[in-house]
Amino acid sequence: MESYLVAILTVAGIYTILALALNLQFGLTGLINFGVVGFYGLGAYASGISTETFHMPFVGGLVVAMIVGSIGGALVALLSLRLSGDFLAIVTLGFAETIRLVFNNEDWLTRGPSGFSIMTRPVIDGLTRQGNAWFVLGVIALAATIIFALMWRLSRTPYGRVLRAIREDDLVPSTLGKNIFVYRLQAFVLGSAIMAGAGSLYAHYVQTITPENFTTPVAILVWMSVIVGGAGNMIGSVLGALAVVFIYEGTRFIGPWLTMLDAEQISALRFIIIGTALILMIRFRPEGLLPEASQRPAEAAPHISASEGSHR
Amino acid sequence: MNITRRLFVTGSTIALATPALLRNGFAQSGPIKIGSLTPLTGGGAPYGPEKAKAHRAVVELVNANGGVLGRKIELISEDSQTNPEAAVRAARKMIDADQVSAIIGTWASSETIGIQPLCQEANVVQLFSGSSDNLPDGDKKRLCFNLQPLNKAWCVALADLAVKRGFLKIGFAGPKNDFAASMGASFSKALQAVGGQIVGEPLYYNPTQVSYRAEAEKLISSKAPALFLAGYVTDMTALYRELIRGGYTGKVFALSFAVGPDFKKAVGSAADGILHGSPVPPVGKDAYDAYLRLVGAKPNGQIQFPYGCAAYDEINLLLLGITAAKSTEGRAIADNIMKVANGPGERVTTFAEGAKLIGEGKAINYDGASSSVDFLPNGMLKSRDFALYEIKGSEDVAILTTTSSAE
Repeated sequence: MESYLVAILTVAGIYTILALALNLQFGLTGLINFGVVGFYGLGAYASGISTETFHMPFVGGLVVAMIVGSIGGALVALLSLRLSGDFLAIVTLGFAETIRLVFNNEDWLTRGPSGFSIMTRPVIDGLTRQGNAWFVLGVIALAATIIFALMWRLSRTPYGRVLRAIREDDLVPSTLGKNIFVYRLQAFVLGSAIMAGAGSLYAHYVQTITPENFTTPVAILVWMSVIVGGAGNMIGSVLGALAVVFIYEGTRFIGPWLTMLDAEQISALRFIIIGTALILMIRFRPEGLLPEASQRPAEAAPHISASEGSHR
Repeated sequence: MNITRRLFVTGSTIALATPALLRNGFAQSGPIKIGSLTPLTGGGAPYGPEKAKAHRAVVELVNANGGVLGRKIELISEDSQTNPEAAVRAARKMIDADQVSAIIGTWASSETIGIQPLCQEANVVQLFSGSSDNLPDGDKKRLCFNLQPLNKAWCVALADLAVKRGFLKIGFAGPKNDFAASMGASFSKALQAVGGQIVGEPLYYNPTQVSYRAEAEKLISSKAPALFLAGYVTDMTALYRELIRGGYTGKVFALSFAVGPDFKKAVGSAADGILHGSPVPPVGKDAYDAYLRLVGAKPNGQIQFPYGCAAYDEINLLLLGITAAKSTEGRAIADNIMKVANGPGERVTTFAEGAKLIGEGKAINYDGASSSVDFLPNGMLKSRDFALYEIKGSEDVAILTTTSSAE
């Protein structure tokens, strides 16, 4: 049971990183990126190809993944960021599907549908099976902590405030002389690089990746994490990712109690429970578990208010 | 939560196992845990449930008769969703939380290959049905057993038929997935071996397309006198329609599961003349009939539950392997599955027969419901019955049944 908890926490760590990256793009900046799996997969394959085909160490693969993720993010952004919200959503969805088809068809590079197996692991030699599992969890937890610290800090800086302003109404920051396009581009590229980094961690954790690992349902889980946690709140994203993964995995344990149902019905029931939980969440707490702290404008200074002025 | 679950599982197991304990007297510790990981949703959903049911039926029967090595069998069922990502998470749970000795029942090659690294690391035995030629590659520790012949074996039978009918030049098209992609390569080889040749490049398409007009045009313009279409029902139906509309008049070879009743209903009389084949259960064989009766079906001379019968063999072989090994340790089980499956020894078709003989110290040779269940040294199936049909008047007319060998 202990090693299973380690495995779930490892998966949760990867989803946490993805959720934080999406929270930067959607929660702070308001960019609707349905192509999360595109960047995630790009990172996974870029890292796998670097370490297996070009024999780089794990860290090299991770760096390559993030560079490739940034380039991919920049290309998608340059093509489509001027489009407003809904159109960006469609373009990113299309991007993710295109990327998946490339993985599936370019056999010479990705070994196509038979899957890419990865021998390089982010572990040190000489550990037991248990030790390896803990070590991988440690690496992923460390990565998640760094990304969280970065995002948490970023959301409190003036830079983060500009991103929020763009999300609320891009006319306002642009009248203040901010270059909206550059801010959006930066947020999108940074988010994409982080997603690709998560892909790299995932690839070296599971050790076999196929194009089917990067289909849209994974992106839906990440979106669920951000929405359940509370869009715009970084702690919320962490909480959301943990909640989603634990609900998803925890529902496995209902089986032994429901002996009158067969395996097929239990598997359907799991999805019913997950769906119901999400609907209830959206109905009764649409702002998420931890809503973004409301940013009230400072009280207007007394001497410029009209009523005070009339007394003078 | 941790402790409550343990308490519950242990408690209920003790309660359930008490009669067996009393009967056997020498029972060892807790139950033997086995993971049943089948595609209950997704692309494999038409076949997963019959596999899960076969596993459960055998386990219930065996438990009612005292279990294995005096211990109960606890079957842990999970849904692989026909998706390697979900399969890996389910396998993690089975290996780490339940500590299963084996994971049986995976169907799509991608899920089997996806969970392979986990199983190898934890010394967990895998029994499954899959056809991708890449399946043996990741099995460095020889813990895998496949109840389905690899693509190579299917292709030899189809290529033979094609040449017999006078078709030496054949075009190939199939969806871009692991199954069809390795099918294309194998078919090309099999055809060359009997003096034929693939026309042009094998054509792979994305199986979720809305239209197959471009693919059909390309196939027609290749002027191939015959085509081998290695698709599934949905893409096969759409592609075949476009071919007929485009005026294709050559012969079409296909896989039986793609041209079943749904296909025939959709294309009507245009289906006539299609030649198709697939591995089949040995209809009429005692072991196959015994399986059908166990899951509550009547043997009627027709093919029923083509994957369920393989699942029946998966669980029987595993339990016999454990019995012969007197251990639930992966290495010992795998070595003994090989012995039990390939013999030499007395022929047995059920767990009960086999366990009795093993108890008497005799060697056995398991003869299964899906095939004679003999493995090559790499754990892949040696041979299985393969039937070829021609569609005439919207009915399948059997041409011949051969035993296709993978060697």
